[in-house]
Amino acid sequence: MRLSIDRHRRRAVAVALPLAAGLLLAGCGGSSNSGGSNGAEPQSITLTFASANTTEMAFDDLAKAYMAAHPGVEIKTNRIALDGYNQALSTQMQAGNGPDVMYINAGSGQAASIGQFGKAGLLLELDKSVAADIPDAQMEGYTYQDKLLGLPSATIVDGVIYNDVLAQQSGVKITATSTLNGITDQCAAVKATGKSIFGLAGSVPANNGILAAQLATSTVYGPNPNWNQDRTDGKTTFADTPGWQQALQSVVDLNNAGCFQDGAAGAGFDALTNGSSTGQFFGFFAPSGATKDIMDAAGGAVTLVALGMPAPQGTESLLTVSANQGLAGNAKTQSPKLVADFLKFSVSPEPAKAFAASQGSIPVGKINAADLLPQYKPVADQLVAEEYRPFAVDGWPNGQVYDALGTGVTGLLTGQNSVNDVLASMDSAWG
Amino acid sequence: MAIVQEQAAAELGSRHGPSRPFTLGYGRWWWALPAVALVVFMVYVTTAAGAFYAFTDWTGIGSWNFVGLNNFKKIFQNPEMIRSLVNTLVLAFGFLLFTNIFGLLFALALNRGLKSRYVLRMLLFMPVVIAPIAVSYVWKFIFAYKGPLNQTLAALGLESWQRDWLAEPKLALLTVLIVMVWQNIGFVMVIYLAGLATVPVDLEEAAALDGAGTFDRFRRITIPMIQPSIAIATTLMLIQGLRIFDQVLALTGGGPAGATETLATQVYKHSFVFGNFGFGASLALVLSLLILVFTLIQQWATRDRL
Repeated sequence: MRLSIDRHRRRAVAVALPLAAGLLLAGCGGSSNSGGSNGAEPQSITLTFASANTTEMAFDDLAKAYMAAHPGVEIKTNRIALDGYNQALSTQMQAGNGPDVMYINAGSGQAASIGQFGKAGLLLELDKSVAADIPDAQMEGYTYQDKLLGLPSATIVDGVIYNDVLAQQSGVKITATSTLNGITDQCAAVKATGKSIFGLAGSVPANNGILAAQLATSTVYGPNPNWNQDRTDGKTTFADTPGWQQALQSVVDLNNAGCFQDGAAGAGFDALTNGSSTGQFFGFFAPSGATKDIMDAAGGAVTLVALGMPAPQGTESLLTVSANQGLAGNAKTQSPKLVADFLKFSVSPEPAKAFAASQGSIPVGKINAADLLPQYKPVADQLVAEEYRPFAVDGWPNGQVYDALGTGVTGLLTGQNSVNDVLASMDSAWG
Repeated sequence: MAIVQEQAAAELGSRHGPSRPFTLGYGRWWWALPAVALVVFMVYVTTAAGAFYAFTDWTGIGSWNFVGLNNFKKIFQNPEMIRSLVNTLVLAFGFLLFTNIFGLLFALALNRGLKSRYVLRMLLFMPVVIAPIAVSYVWKFIFAYKGPLNQTLAALGLESWQRDWLAEPKLALLTVLIVMVWQNIGFVMVIYLAGLATVPVDLEEAAALDGAGTFDRFRRITIPMIQPSIAIATTLMLIQGLRIFDQVLALTGGGPAGATETLATQVYKHSFVFGNFGFGASLALVLSLLILVFTLIQQWATRDRL
């Protein structure tokens, strides 16, 4: 009998202790709602943003500008390194302790994006009137199920970061009106001098992807701006679209013509940094905001411009414009009116202009030549004339499609894949 | 003295009742309960929770649906995942084989006799204490197309041997294996040195006097006596090889075009890059089961020798 009681006690202790620990842990993890009890919104909010460059002050300056225009409001900014941002923000939002306002990616391709957070009901719905003056191309990926859930912070050209001065010293001339064939014709002569026209980080799927997506802007989305919707509706596939085959074949042609540096297939971003700083190539594929970062870092020693990637023969060259980095509000914020007003402020003309100047990008909204920084001069006419399409990837359903494109291009460079293999894998990733 | 101890034991025994013999104890089982509970919650419950998500379509945020075995079907129907599984096994068994061969050879060479053996042991062990990610970035620089390896080959007039080491599919997997083996030879060597220290010198001398050659002594005396070291070294290297992650991510990122992807890099990509937490969890479960099965086989193969 005594033995039986001891067993019961042991079992009780064995169950009770973990249970108590579990309850304690659950208590620690519970959310605390410390909202104002008088119904008035708290006038202090938090803004979390990602930054790869610790000297970039665009979001801090935006917060300061709002506080200066709205006395009594406090915006606490929180910078998180870009490489860990998606995971950090997702964890915070899932735990219910996310910021009031957050930097967010448009579309559904990344973990911390409008599509993923929107699906989980984590974002504050905004009045569509705040985006009335923003062109559709810049609003790609900011709605989910017809709800406006975020706003772009700035616009960039996904194109070529180009050192025209250096190129002309080597007798290379590329302008906004150049054709792809015009470029490939010059590659062999440049290669003979030990240099190349383009640098490519071929081991980085995102760098390959930006090149291929630029080409597809002209070959696919130029003729059919609604291609993404057609793909979603099952009316077409990557493999069945001649424009996609042409875009990827153009990558193969550029490689065969020697337009990329030696060892491009295995190169990382370090190769781009080293190669561009030592003049081994004249341009590389990146968002145009990088022009300012590099010129600032060089202390004015280099002058870079943004160019679009020319289209293959017989196709109109269009720019790839992206506004996929923006701001969104937290659905659980205790200051929804303040958050909505701050987001509206961020896309109003003067703050947007100041933000773009600080970041080296193009102000959100209708593009005016007078608002463009000097590095956008070669593409100014195309931007003003709206000869562009949105970055197609922002309308894709998940990040695996873009990864399949990027890794597929590596395979094209190494000979592991054919164009049809890559397109088939993109169709498979689309789901 | 012995009488006093017996009397003390008898008195102690009488206080606890005549039926309980005296036993020397160091504590009570329930003293360990807080620590056990903590381990259960922090390790096993979280692991079980993670395993549960393998049967869902959770994206890492928001709600989820139970999808049964769909994630596992997708794994085994996807050629990319099968290739990752094959790469994992190739790297794990290559790692197991080469670390043990070179580790044992270095241990034999530096066991005794050589005057500089302590310095050489230290030099061989040094890579072990460096973080794998740091080692991998150094090797990435060495293997780069315009890196020191290709430059050295060019300086030696061996331009035809130059390769894009990290971008050629077959070479890339080999370079990852080389870096893994290079960093861990020292660790295996230390395990074998500990084993070799248990081999009596006089036994070897007696065998030598009886006419046994070097290889015979190695095969019939050394190997049987270091069996416990072999069991430990092979088990640890197999587990480490199966969960290979840092070196692949730093050297090739899984490329070129997926040629060096492993199960662990796929777990990372699907869980944290693509937001397919459920699918990532199912990959992690497959990897865990793989490690468990191979470890059990390993334990069975080396039973009674540990």
